[in-house]
Parts: sequence; structure tokens; C-alpha cells
Amino acid sequence: MKCEKRSPLRMILTVVTLIAAYLIVSVPFKVMEIIPGFTDIRPVSMLQPVYGIFFGIPGSLAFAVGNLITDILFDSLRWSSIAGFIANFLGPFCFYLYWGKLSRTPFALKTMKNILRHVAVIVVVALMEASIITPSVAISYPEVDFGLFFGMVMINSVAFPILLGIPLLIVMSEELGLKALTVNKGHRKDSRE
Amino acid sequence: MNKLQANLCLVCVTLLWSTEVIIFACIPDSVAPFATTAITSMIGGVLLLLCFFKRIKTALKNGGKKLLLTGVLLSVLNCGYNVMYQYGLKKFDVSSGAFTISMTVVILPVILMMKRQNVDKKTWVSAILVLTGIVISYLGKLGTISVPGLLMLIGGCVIRAYYIIRLNEAAREFDPVPLSALIAVIVGIFSFVIWFVMQPATFGAIEWDTRIVASLFIHAYFIVMFAQTLNIFAQRNATPAAATIIYSLEIIFSLIWGMTMPASIVTPITPDVFMMIGAAFIVLGNLAEILSFKRKAVKRL
Repeated sequence: MKCEKRSPLRMILTVVTLIAAYLIVSVPFKVMEIIPGFTDIRPVSMLQPVYGIFFGIPGSLAFAVGNLITDILFDSLRWSSIAGFIANFLGPFCFYLYWGKLSRTPFALKTMKNILRHVAVIVVVALMEASIITPSVAISYPEVDFGLFFGMVMINSVAFPILLGIPLLIVMSEELGLKALTVNKGHRKDSRE
Repeated sequence: MNKLQANLCLVCVTLLWSTEVIIFACIPDSVAPFATTAITSMIGGVLLLLCFFKRIKTALKNGGKKLLLTGVLLSVLNCGYNVMYQYGLKKFDVSSGAFTISMTVVILPVILMMKRQNVDKKTWVSAILVLTGIVISYLGKLGTISVPGLLMLIGGCVIRAYYIIRLNEAAREFDPVPLSALIAVIVGIFSFVIWFVMQPATFGAIEWDTRIVASLFIHAYFIVMFAQTLNIFAQRNATPAAATIIYSLEIIFSLIWGMTMPASIVTPITPDVFMMIGAAFIVLGNLAEILSFKRKAVKRL
């Protein structure tokens, strides 16, 4: 098993790069309303498993900070952003936790069984995020339709990580050579070993 | 990447391609189609170059001339079938046009056979199922079919089939990332030249606003950079025939968008019985190609 110790400077650079990638993907979707009536389409959710599985805690932090910066840039910074920050940190972290520690097999989406396990994690993470964000939004904005908002969070957090995130993970792990992290020592575990 | 992963990636590529109509709906008609292709291809190509500079530089050092020629050929084919589709589709309604361009599924195995390459029995079964679906979707509309339009679309399908075969060969020979970057840049240059001829003011002719910029960037990230590169990676591990059959799913996604999206974005589709049965045959054809029945057969023995 190969180990990689990362210096604080490299970790900061990783976080900054990941935040930049988050903003590049998320900002165009904030500028415009692609489908009238659906104000918040977030394909950036596809990056959630990628940030968690390949970058661990720095990745989780970058995802949460990226979301917070987007809130600041588009004038939607409210008290509910605290819940958003927590949910957006915990989302990638859960993928890191599952594939890095809880799963008995290393991360590899090579079989239908493993892909279905990954889909199950996506659904659980989406439920957790929707359960954290929705109550805080309901308190901050009483006029918001509680059920619709919960549904939107679920759709964004399930559809994009499955439809776009899984192929992205496959290419990154199988073709670009990125390796999943393990939780206990923060080193990389080669899924092909 | 194994076969299952390659098939999943191809489904994702097809889904992304089907969303192009939604992204294009956000770009005003005043922006010429060649302008959109030129700008998004250039953005996608430059982003790939920035992200994978070392990889692309190495690929160009080792066999750059052959890679360049392959990139030019693929870009010419790509532009060729897209132009034929654009003109041919004008003679059809949205759904019939979408079903017709799936004809590639049938043409491609025939080209492979002419090149004396083996085609799986499974692929023939899938191709026949998809063809049956296309024919069924035509029932009830036979009198309205435009022959010149049909010939134009079939011509486009032949070029596309040849493009897929050449792309599949190139994906196995070259690194997919430099190949994708090269195709994006060359398509961008070709489209820019045509755009310049048709509209000499080029960038100055566009009334820029944040919506146009955002749409162009979304197209560049998801269709050019992500889908195109993913397609080449997947093609490396799939046969051209299998890839084409999966591409035919685009009709199903288009039908879904046509039925669910607002009329301001996509031309609404009200599917009739023939269309539904046709779509079901296409899904069956895809399932026959994607799913493996071998293991179950062994167990039964």
C-alpha cells in the first residue's frame, strides 16, 4: 500500500484549487434560470463524492467553503447558510467515511454490486443533507414551500451524483489514476491492489 | 475501465448530448450556431489544455503528426455529419427526425461487415430491435416523410457511423485527453472560419449578457470538455457498434425532455402509440446490448 504524507502548504493549495473548481462549475448555474420555475439546479453536486473520496477532509472543507462563497457572491447569505455549510461538509465527508473506513472493500466502481452500494450511499447522504438544510430554510423563509424545497435538495443531491458523478468517478479512478483515501491515516489506498 | 463502466459512461454521454437542446434554448437565436460551436469548442479545448498540459505536451511529442492528422480527420467528419443533420432535420418534425438519426445503429454494423470486421450476434439483435423501433415510429406518418430530407439524414448517418468507427480506433491508439483537446480546438477553428465568413463581425455581432456567457460556459464544460472526453475514454473499452446502440438512447431522453420541459425550452412532444412502441423497442435493443446474459446461461447448464 502506497502512503503519501501531505504538507500543510500542499493541503492549502489543494483546498484552494478545489474551491476554484467548485466555483467554475457552480457560478454559471447561479447566474441564470435554465428551467423556469426551478431556481436552483446544482450539477455541482456531482463533485461531492469526488471531493470526499479522493480528497477526504480537505475536499469536504473545499465543498462547504465553495458553497458558502457562492452564497456570498449571489447575495443569499442567511442564517440558514450555517446549516448549508454543515450539510455540504458532511456530504463529501460521508463518502470519505464510507469508502475509506466502513466499506470492507476498497473503492472501485467495477461491479454492479459496488455501483449499487455507492448509489445507496448517495441516497442516504441526500436524505441527511435535506434533513439538515430544509428545517433551517423553513425557519429563515417561512414563505418557502417546505416539501418542494426538500424535494429539490433530494433531486439535486441524488440525480447529479448518480448520472454525472459515477462516470466522473470511474474516469478519475480508472483512467486518470486518482486513488481513494482511507480514513484512519489519511493515506491513499490503491483500489487496484 | 471495464465493459460495464464503459457502457455507463456512454449512457452519461448520451444523456449530456440530449441536454444540448435545453442549453441552446438559453442562447438567443441572434447567436449563430457556428458561433456557439466555435466559442464552446475553444473554451473546452483551452480548459483541457490548462488542466492536462503535461499530458497533452507529452502526447504531441510522441507521435504528434499522426495525432494531429487523426484529430483533423475526426473534426472534419464531426462537422460534416452535424451540417447534414442540421439541414436534414429542417424537413422533419422533432420526433421523426430524432428517430431517423438513430439509423446509424443499423448502418454502422453494415460498414463494419464491409470492412470484414466481426460483429457480435448480440449487436445484430440490438440493431434489428432498434431498426424495428424506428420503423414503428414512422407508422402513421409515412405520407409526410420528405425524401430529400431523409436522404440527407441517411447521408449524415453514414458519415457519423464512419466517424464512430474512426474515433473508436483512435481512442485505442492515442491518449483520450490530448485527442479530445485536439478535436475541440480544431472543431473550434473550423467553426470560427465559417462563422467569420457568414458574420465578419464575429464576437462584435453578439449582444453579450451574463445569460449568454453562462450558457456558453455550461456547454463548454459539460458537452465539449466532459462528454467528449468521457466518450473517447469509454470508446476505448467498447465496440463501435455497442457505442452506437447506446447513443440511440438519445431519442428516449429527448422524448422525456419533450414531454416534461416547458414549451419555451423544448418543442413539446405528445407521443402517439407508435412512438411509444418504437421507443420501447429502442430500449429493448439497448438492454440486449448492455446486459450480459452469459453468466445466467452457464448457471442454468
